[in-house]
Amino acid sequence: MRNMVLPALLAGLVLASSAAWAQGARSAGGEGELGVFKKACSGCHKWHGGGGGGYGGEALSLRKTQLDKEQVAEVVRCGRPGTGMPYHLRGAFDTVKCYDSLKADMGGNMPPETAVFLRAPEIDAVANYVVTQLKGKGEPNLEECTAFFGATSRACDIYRKKEGSDAPTASH
Amino acid sequence: MTKSRAARRILAATSLAALAAGTLPLAPALAADGVTQDRLLNADKEEGNWIQHHKNYAGHRYSTLNEINKGNVKNLKVAWTMHLGGIEGGGIWSHGGLEGTPIVENGMMYVTDGWGSVYKIDTRGGEGKLIWKMDPKTDREWAGAVACCGVNNRGVALWGDLVVSHTLDGRLIATNKENGQVAWQRQVADPDKGETITGAPLIVKGMAISGVGGAEYGIRGWIAATDLKTEKEVWRTHTIPGKGEPGYETWKGPNNAAVSGGGSTWVTGTYDPDTDTIVWGVGNPGPDWDNAYRPGDNLYTDSTLALDATTGKIKWHFQHTPNDPYDYDSVSENLLVDVGGRKLAIEADRNGFAYAVDRTNGQFVWATPFVKKVTWTRGINPDTGKPFEYDPNKDVQRYNPAATPSAENKNADFCPGNMGGKNWPPTAYNPNLQYWYIPVIESCNRVTHEAMTQANLKPREFFTGGGPSQPFRITGSVTAIDVKTGKVAGKHETQFPLLGGMLATPDLVFTGEPSGGVMAMDAKSLEKLWEFRTGGGVNAPPMTFTVDGKQYVAILVGLGGAWDKWFIDSTPELKNIQTGSMLYVFAL
Repeated sequence: MRNMVLPALLAGLVLASSAAWAQGARSAGGEGELGVFKKACSGCHKWHGGGGGGYGGEALSLRKTQLDKEQVAEVVRCGRPGTGMPYHLRGAFDTVKCYDSLKADMGGNMPPETAVFLRAPEIDAVANYVVTQLKGKGEPNLEECTAFFGATSRACDIYRKKEGSDAPTASH
Repeated sequence: MTKSRAARRILAATSLAALAAGTLPLAPALAADGVTQDRLLNADKEEGNWIQHHKNYAGHRYSTLNEINKGNVKNLKVAWTMHLGGIEGGGIWSHGGLEGTPIVENGMMYVTDGWGSVYKIDTRGGEGKLIWKMDPKTDREWAGAVACCGVNNRGVALWGDLVVSHTLDGRLIATNKENGQVAWQRQVADPDKGETITGAPLIVKGMAISGVGGAEYGIRGWIAATDLKTEKEVWRTHTIPGKGEPGYETWKGPNNAAVSGGGSTWVTGTYDPDTDTIVWGVGNPGPDWDNAYRPGDNLYTDSTLALDATTGKIKWHFQHTPNDPYDYDSVSENLLVDVGGRKLAIEADRNGFAYAVDRTNGQFVWATPFVKKVTWTRGINPDTGKPFEYDPNKDVQRYNPAATPSAENKNADFCPGNMGGKNWPPTAYNPNLQYWYIPVIESCNRVTHEAMTQANLKPREFFTGGGPSQPFRITGSVTAIDVKTGKVAGKHETQFPLLGGMLATPDLVFTGEPSGGVMAMDAKSLEKLWEFRTGGGVNAPPMTFTVDGKQYVAILVGLGGAWDKWFIDSTPELKNIQTGSMLYVFAL
């Protein structure tokens, strides 16, 4: 019995470390950033970041934003006072000052709290995604759509139709 | 055929079935279980079964079973549970949930998960055994990206040897009841247009009646009937009239607004066999909060529609909120009740008022507020059934202007909030007490107005004219209406909005709370007599049945719906509720 435990433990360690490595690799690349964007932003800002009305409120367009990466990260961390944009950093306005303020200073202007907090590297990743993948972009297209939804779904068929049946499908 | 010959034939058939049962236990059970129009018409007489979504065609969700009653309900406990699936995310949703009503026929239960998988469960012997699972392989990204309000499916219907269900990606699926194999399927709704289906089908005379969701995405709503034998569409009635049809004149202005007028139909309706009439609720106009985009009353949005079941032709309508600027759907089920010599259709509307209309002609009878706070109107004019502020000479209604989102009032607070009032969770009606039980969202919220143009209208994109936020705490209640008087007879307040729905029995009412509680109340006093904490989010209605001569209460528990994504700020404690997918069955 004792002899069997050790190899199993070792195997577990190897698996765990390779999983951790894979995760690290993903979060360094686009998929990790997109993962955070999907989880935290796409409900209100829409999959393409174009914002507009919806059940998530009236969200601003991230494609038309003028903010730089650090400014985007600050808005993600701290939210936008007086709007529906929530703060995503655990402890914001409480243990960490936001806009140089704590809860007591904000009064009725406190932004809402996110349903799920983001960790600092996730905030950095999503801010990077916004400024490199969305900011300054025009109308969403098939390539962006399949990057978001994958190529195995019919979710992007409307872009295929729009771009003509000869239009190449994005490859992955 | 004489009575005695008929009796002999029935006896012979029964003996044959009994004989065959010894050798081939499944085949005769199937024959005996074949659901017919006659059985659907008499669903109430099958006391231990629950073979229709709303229990009977009239939508009562009332069971005569009384083994569990107010004297012993305190002893109710979990008999068995079963884990289900369907919690995967898709589109804009991180998870699926459970909103369905279990269907039970002769001890066999049929439930669905949010992605439309159907589970057949044998409930005999005091436990649940999964017989089969039909996974429709829903295209989750296609559908989930245009589902405004969660990954939901509210259950199945039975016909012949088929289990009939919908999927979020717009299919109607007929599954063999016996072996769980898909017999056939057809695409009824088109997610490319922003259409999805979440409701259970209603079966009338061998047709499956389907409703559609998507009024937040610029659809033109409809109700459709599919012949379950030929597998073909029999009729499809649009809820927004086309050019030349009556009601088209209620869509004015330069935007050609009728083409994207909304009017979805995502809650299962009811059926009056006396007049062969389907009564079905119609949802909000689109864009939701910019009513200046669509001048006119916007028929038949926010209306109750009566359709000829054979042809789909509109017989009458009653509109609750003309030119709606609040997202006050009227998709709710209309219960068909006979009270005081009148044939009524009663509906608890998202706008905070309970309505009774004469179901033979759609004439208004009464309306009464069932929520604690209404700010959008002073009330409903008892002579007309319209809000007091409604002006038929105005194309764009402002009701209480301070509470109405518009270009001049960009941030408007109104009560009830845009979720209602009362949302899809079904009411229940006790025909002896003539009490009607409403699962209430006691709410206000804020909507930021966004002026729409035709350029904003794009396939698969939200087309709402703004959006809500939640600066106010939202609570709930069970509110009982005495249908004899049309007045509120009692209110049991709850910490959270009721997002699951009601069940009535002779002296009890059951409901669930999004914080996890399933509870029973006294049917008259609404005093809470029993509660069990499931530890999950309850977003589905309870039902009851018997098997092996014993009464059970069943409910699906699994965080679903729109609340945890869009409205959670109004109920911060519910952020702690985790996703899940579980069937709970209770007994004494």
